[in-house]
Order: sequence, then C-alpha cells, then structure tokens
Amino acid sequence: MSAASVNAKALVKSFGHFTAVDSVSFDVYPREVVGLLGANGAGKTTTIRMLVGLLTPTRGAASLLGRAPDRVARSRLGYVPQGLGLYGQLTVAENLDFRAAAYGIEAAPLPDTLRAVEDRRVATISLGLQRQLAFLCAVQHGPDVLVLDEPTSGMGPLAAARLWDQIRVVAESGSGVLVSTHSMLEARQCDRLILMSEGIVVGDGSEADIVDGMHAVEVSTPRWREAFAALSAPGEIVTLDGRAVRILSRSVDDVRAVVAPIDGSAVISAVPATIDERMAVLATM
Amino acid sequence: MITKEFRELRRDRRTMAMLIVLPILLLVVFGYAASFDVTTIPTAVLGPSADQAAQVLPAPFDVTEVDTAGTVATARDLLRDSVVDVAITTDSQPPVAYVDGSSLFAAKAAVGALARAGGAVRVEVLYNPDLITSWVLVPAITGLILMFIGTVITAIGLVRERENGTLEQLAVMPLSPSSVILGKIVPYFVLASLDMGIVTVLGIALFGVPFNGNIFLFALGAALFLFVVLGIGVFLSTVSQNAGQAIQLAFFFLLPQILLSGMIFPLEAIPWSVRWISYLLPLTYYTLISVGVMLKGAGLASLWFAYLILAVMAAAVFSGATLRFRRDLVPSTRSGDEGAAEVGT
Amino acid sequence: MTFGTREVTVSFGDTVALDRVTFEARPGGIVAVIGGDGAGKTTLMRTLVGLVTPDSGTVSVPPTSEVGYLPALGGSWKDLTVAENVGFVGGSHGLRGEALDERVGPMLAMANLDSAVDRLAGQLSGGMRTKLGFILAMLHQPKLVVLDEPTTGVDPVSRVELWRMISDAAAGGAAVVLSTTYTNEAERAASTVMLHEGKVVLDGDPDAVTASLNGSITTGGRPVRPEYAWRSGASYREWWPSSVQPVGSVVEPTLEDVTVVSELAPTLGLEGTERVA
Repeated sequence: MSAASVNAKALVKSFGHFTAVDSVSFDVYPREVVGLLGANGAGKTTTIRMLVGLLTPTRGAASLLGRAPDRVARSRLGYVPQGLGLYGQLTVAENLDFRAAAYGIEAAPLPDTLRAVEDRRVATISLGLQRQLAFLCAVQHGPDVLVLDEPTSGMGPLAAARLWDQIRVVAESGSGVLVSTHSMLEARQCDRLILMSEGIVVGDGSEADIVDGMHAVEVSTPRWREAFAALSAPGEIVTLDGRAVRILSRSVDDVRAVVAPIDGSAVISAVPATIDERMAVLATM
Repeated sequence: MITKEFRELRRDRRTMAMLIVLPILLLVVFGYAASFDVTTIPTAVLGPSADQAAQVLPAPFDVTEVDTAGTVATARDLLRDSVVDVAITTDSQPPVAYVDGSSLFAAKAAVGALARAGGAVRVEVLYNPDLITSWVLVPAITGLILMFIGTVITAIGLVRERENGTLEQLAVMPLSPSSVILGKIVPYFVLASLDMGIVTVLGIALFGVPFNGNIFLFALGAALFLFVVLGIGVFLSTVSQNAGQAIQLAFFFLLPQILLSGMIFPLEAIPWSVRWISYLLPLTYYTLISVGVMLKGAGLASLWFAYLILAVMAAAVFSGATLRFRRDLVPSTRSGDEGAAEVGT
Repeated sequence: MTFGTREVTVSFGDTVALDRVTFEARPGGIVAVIGGDGAGKTTLMRTLVGLVTPDSGTVSVPPTSEVGYLPALGGSWKDLTVAENVGFVGGSHGLRGEALDERVGPMLAMANLDSAVDRLAGQLSGGMRTKLGFILAMLHQPKLVVLDEPTTGVDPVSRVELWRMISDAAAGGAAVVLSTTYTNEAERAASTVMLHEGKVVLDGDPDAVTASLNGSITTGGRPVRPEYAWRSGASYREWWPSSVQPVGSVVEPTLEDVTVVSELAPTLGLEGTERVA
C-alpha cells in the first residue's frame, strides 16, 4: 500500500482540563475520499486543525504526506475551512490570483459561473459561488492532499452534487481527500467513514461498518404524524426519514402493537440503521 | 429590556472595564490635569543683573536657572532645548524676555504677565511670534494621524483576517510567517507615512507653519513613533476576536495619549501626580520631537533623549507584538491551553 | 385566515431577490421553502416578518404580536443564560412568574433543555441553541411561525427533536413557514415551495410535486448522458424527459430528484415538471 496522504497517530488535544481529542488514529490514502463524521463538538474540527498544522497536538503526531505538517508539506495541501477563507473585499479574480501567487503558479481558469462575476467583490456574490471559488482556490495548485470542512453545508442538491463531482475528480487524480461533515448526505458520498464522538474514534469503515449491525424499525403510514407522536417517548430514539417513522431499540412486534390502533395496515419492517441513528445513539449514551 | 441589557453587560468584561475605567480616567484627567492655565513657568534669568532680577520676578515665573554669564545666545539655546519656557536677559536696557511660542499656553501666560509689568521688560516671542494655535497643532496632529492609522486601522486590518478565517488560510499556505507579517504591516506603514506627509505639507501651505528643522530628523522621529503605534496595533489585533473589540481596546490606548501627551493640555499644567503617566506615553515624546524639530529647529543635541526613549519603546513593543502575532501563524510555538475558545467546533 | 404572499417582488439594488412570489400558509400546516444558497429563502422569511419591505405585491400576515420568528443562526442572546433568555422574551410578551413557567416548562423538557437552564446561550451546542431560539419564537403562541433554516448545521438528534416541536406547533393551530436545504424534511410538510433565483419553480403538496416530474429517473454507476445526471451517494441519478426513452434501471422519483431536475432543466432548455391541472 502506498504511503498515507494523511496520518493521525494517537492524536490528543487538551484545552486546560478538557480533552477535545483523545487518542485519535486514522489514515487517508491517495485516491480515497474519507469522511470524518460526528456531531458538533465531537472533535472533528480540532482534529483537522492538528492535521493541517494549525494546532499542535498535546500528544501524538499528525502527518501530511509522510512528514510533519510543516511549510513544505502544506505547500502540497489544499484546505477549505468552514468559513471558506476568502477575502470579501477582493474580487473573485483577485482572490484567485493572490492564492496562486502564494503557491508560485498561474491562476487557474475560472469556470463560466465564476467568470460572470470575475470582477465583483466576493462579499457580494452568493454563498454557493463563494464555495465554488474557495474550492477552486484550494485545488488550483494541484494539491496531493485535500481537506474540506463541511464543504456542501447549506448548498442546494444540484450544486452539492456538482461539487462532489469535482471532489471526485481531485481524488481520481491521485490525491487523498478528507472531508469533515455531520450530514448523512455528505457521508454517503465518501469511500470510507471515520466516526468520532466526544473526542474519540468510534468507528472506521463503510456505512455498514459504522452502523455496526444496528437495526431500526421503520413504519410507513399515511398517518405518520400520529405514529411519530405515539412512538416518541423519553429515552427512545425516534427519527424521521421523509415521512417514514423510524425507531431504534424496539422490536417489530412492539412497534406494531403501538401503531396498530392508528393504522392497522401500516408497513412495518426492520431495516439497517442509518449513520444519523448511530450518531444519535452515541449522543444519548 | 433593561434587565437584559445589564445582564449582558455584566458578562462583557471589556465593556464593563470601559464603563468603569473611562469615567475615572476622565475625572482624573479633567479634574487634575486638564488645564490651559499655566501657573508656573520655568524661567531662566541671564546676564550681569540676573541675581537681582531673579529676586524680584513674581509668579507665575519660576526661576529654575540663573546664569550671570549668560547671553542672548544662551537664552535662545535654553528655549530651543525646552529647558525653560522663558529666558530673560539682563545685559540690555530694558531687559529682554525671550518666550518660547511653541509652548503655547505657557507663552500666553508669560506674555500676559509681562504685559502687566508695563514697559519694564521688552518681550520677544520666538518660534511662534504671533502665538498661533495652528502652528503648534499641526506638528501634534501628525502624531495623531500616525497613531490613528498605526493603531486603529492596522488592528482592524489584522483582526479582519482573523474574523474572516483567512488568517487560518494564510497559516496553511506556504508563506513564511515573516512575509505574512511584513505583508500586513508594510502597507499601513506606507499609508501612515503618506498621510503624515500630506498633513505636514498642507499645514505648511494653509497655515503658514514654518518648517525650521531637519526634515530627516523629523522623519526619523515619525518612523520610530510609527513602529511603536504599529506594534500597539498588532498587539491589539492578537488579543481581539473582532473589529469591535479591537476598536474598543484602541480607544483605551488612544484617549490617554491624546489627553496627557501635552499635545492639547500643556505638560506644565499637569500636576506631577498625573504627569508621570505622560512620560510613559510615546505620543509625549513624539510631540516633543515634532514641535521641537518643526518649529524650533531643535537637533539631536537637545532631543536625543526623546529619540532614545522612542527607539527603545519601538524595539520592545514592535518585536513583542509581532512575536505574539507570529504565534497565530506558527502554532508549534503556541502553548497548550490557548485556543480554548475553539473547543466545541 | 390564511397567510402568505401574492406577487411579491423584492430587489436589492440591481439584484432581484424575489420575483413575483406567491404562496399560501394555512393554520395547522407546515410550508417548507426549499432552494439552494441565494435562491431567496431568507429574503422571503424576512419579508414575512416585516424586516424587508417588498417593492410590489402583498404580504398577508397577522399583526407582529402574533408572529414568531427564528432567524438563521440566532434568535437568542449569547451572554444570557437559557432562563434569562426565556425570562426576557417572556417578559416582553407580558408573560412572567407562574404563567411563564407553565408555558415554558413543557417546551424546555421536550427540547431536553430543562437541565441546561443556567447555561449561557453562547455555550450551548448549535442544536441546543436552535431549540432555544425556537422556544423563544413560540413563547407567545403566535398564529404564524417563521423559521429560517432551523435545521441547518444541527446534529441529527436535535434535528428530530426540533421537528417534533415544529409538528407540535402546527398541530396546535399555528401556520408554520420554514426554509430548509434538506428535501427529506420538505417531504413532511403540507406544502412545499421551491425557490430558484428568486422565482417559485415548484409549489404544492410534496407528493403532487414529486408526481409532476416530466419524465423519469434512473440510477446507475455511470451516467449515459452526463449533462442530465448528478451524483447521489456512490451512484448517479439520471433524468430522462418524457420525450426520451430511459436507459437503465428506472426508480421511483423523490422530491429531491424533482428539485434537482427543476434546476437542471432550464439550463438544458427543457421543462422539469408537467403542470397538473
């Protein structure tokens, strides 16, 4: 196997008495899109900041392309933080030129959507276009590692799908890609997932691995509102997928008993749990 | 609504500090220090009858120097070097009182007091013969401009980088920390210098303010002072999370300087219980230099001390602040407990 | 009494943020406004609560005292505790003491915030803070509740709790208008309004909207006509307008498919939906 693009080795980060990240280890290999998954406060952003060299680990080691995340390693990194890191008062073209100049390259050509707003200040273009620009800024120097913090949060489905196409192109060209997210939709775009909860890694693998054999009972009925209300009880993890009501840790028969008075012909079946449900279980533990 | 505001304020320590410290500061400054009335004027008496003249000289003149061998030249030197505000030579009849017009309020007080003495003393005001306020204010305003750009504008420019998250982006780009710091500071250095140059030239053109000294010496003083205020600006940006906080803090740095540096209220009118603060403030030294060089043509011989202090301040503040700023760019030098605010993201 | 807008146009300088937007919100129902960044969702929410004055058209809403509003990322004061936030907003509606406790107690319990009443709002997680914002917006039992992206950036557990609270508000008779980027949530609404570049491109019951797709959807590993396809998870989905015979495995279209197609179709010079009479 080729050398890892990103390697976290027993990373620990403490802030005072609070341990935000505890013994986190994982790798991201070239051509791979890895999702770093977890609820808010799970330690995703702290982990990413250590990996790109913005925070020094309290213990353990972060490496990019087989070396410490120093200036040389970072020259081969593309990074899009949650806040996008663009200059609002500079134009689209000026932002791209500035970033290109820092890497000593020619600015990448703008796609049509951005060309139309080339001379507008970034603060005045839509967030969707800003995200496109931030992505272009991060990949124009052909990085070997790409790190993205919630890249499609707040995007419409088509724009998100288009951005994922571009992320795939970067991975297929040989880069390792690490994406932090708390959205199941984003997670499903990844080749492999790493699930964090309260600072530790609680799962590493495919969606099925993450869910770890957990099952949910799914109820489909036109009277889903009533079923949802009837099944909702303290301590239960009840979720909605569209209009299907899902509940963990109850048997099909149990659920049928509750739902029957509402809709005797409701379709009730055991299905594999989702990542969201796994995260919900972790959050309530 | 009112309760809510009080509760919020209680938890906003910076604003609370401002609410408590500011009134006290203003009270002290205006109660004790702020006075245009100079009640003691440092005076030198020179020439053959110096001793007798010193005996009869009434208040507000405070004879600090008596030199029976002194001449007109000595008088001019003493004024230029700001040793005294008034120098009286007794080798002529009537005696001549040379008054330092650049110490505007002391000069006005002296001229008034001497006028009451009838024709017993001939008065000659040097450096600002017509006692024009703008002549004194123009050199002082250059200091204000340097301070405003150096501290407020620079702090905002840097803190915006943090607010937008672009500081983080800069940190992961293959730029050396020193090039980032230089890149952020040089533009403000240039802008402040340009602005100051424009004001100086305009002051001369519009108000007829003379430029009697050495322009390079003037520029050197301005440059040293600029490093100090830029350093303060950089420092403020490292302890602020947003532009609002930076402006609030800058206010704390600017207000005492404007009030206590001698640019508005004469230093001589500030009692020693407060005046010692004046001597901790860089603007005090810059005002000495700008007024001294521009109006009086003073040289290093008399101003070396002010230059030395500014140089020391510049070296300490500027290097300290840029090192602090550097820690945000090179995290390996950052201590473990910092960034606690980033927990939970 | 139904609320909503009729032919509302809002522009900021040269930019038309809303272009003749018409929609209806009925008491007891949830209207989900969907669309990507810059579609005009926030402007529509702000217009409903009177923060934006339209250039033309009419806005029908109850008086301000009967409107509840949760702005995107906010709605609470970060330097105040949960209890102080509740006390402040409650007081502004004349609710205090026992009356306030009676109203708020169950809401805090439902939101799992009852153990966090002494924490500063600024120290709550995004999900908890949004739930607090929602409670504040609901304190005075408004007739119209306007929620700007209440579930964006909220963890899955809080998202479901929020949805339960929102459903309850609607069940209690309020008209709820919320914006969201998740079509999965929009499926639960009584009516969904899709905005694109300030215009309403889809409007109606989610099932009817889904059924109005012009043509069919296939799924597969590699798209046959890439300009008609988009990635969804590990596979692609592909749109086949009714004039073309689909190639590949046809699947039941979802609301998300229809929203994507309605954005995609105009760029291809096609109609994404067939208007059902």
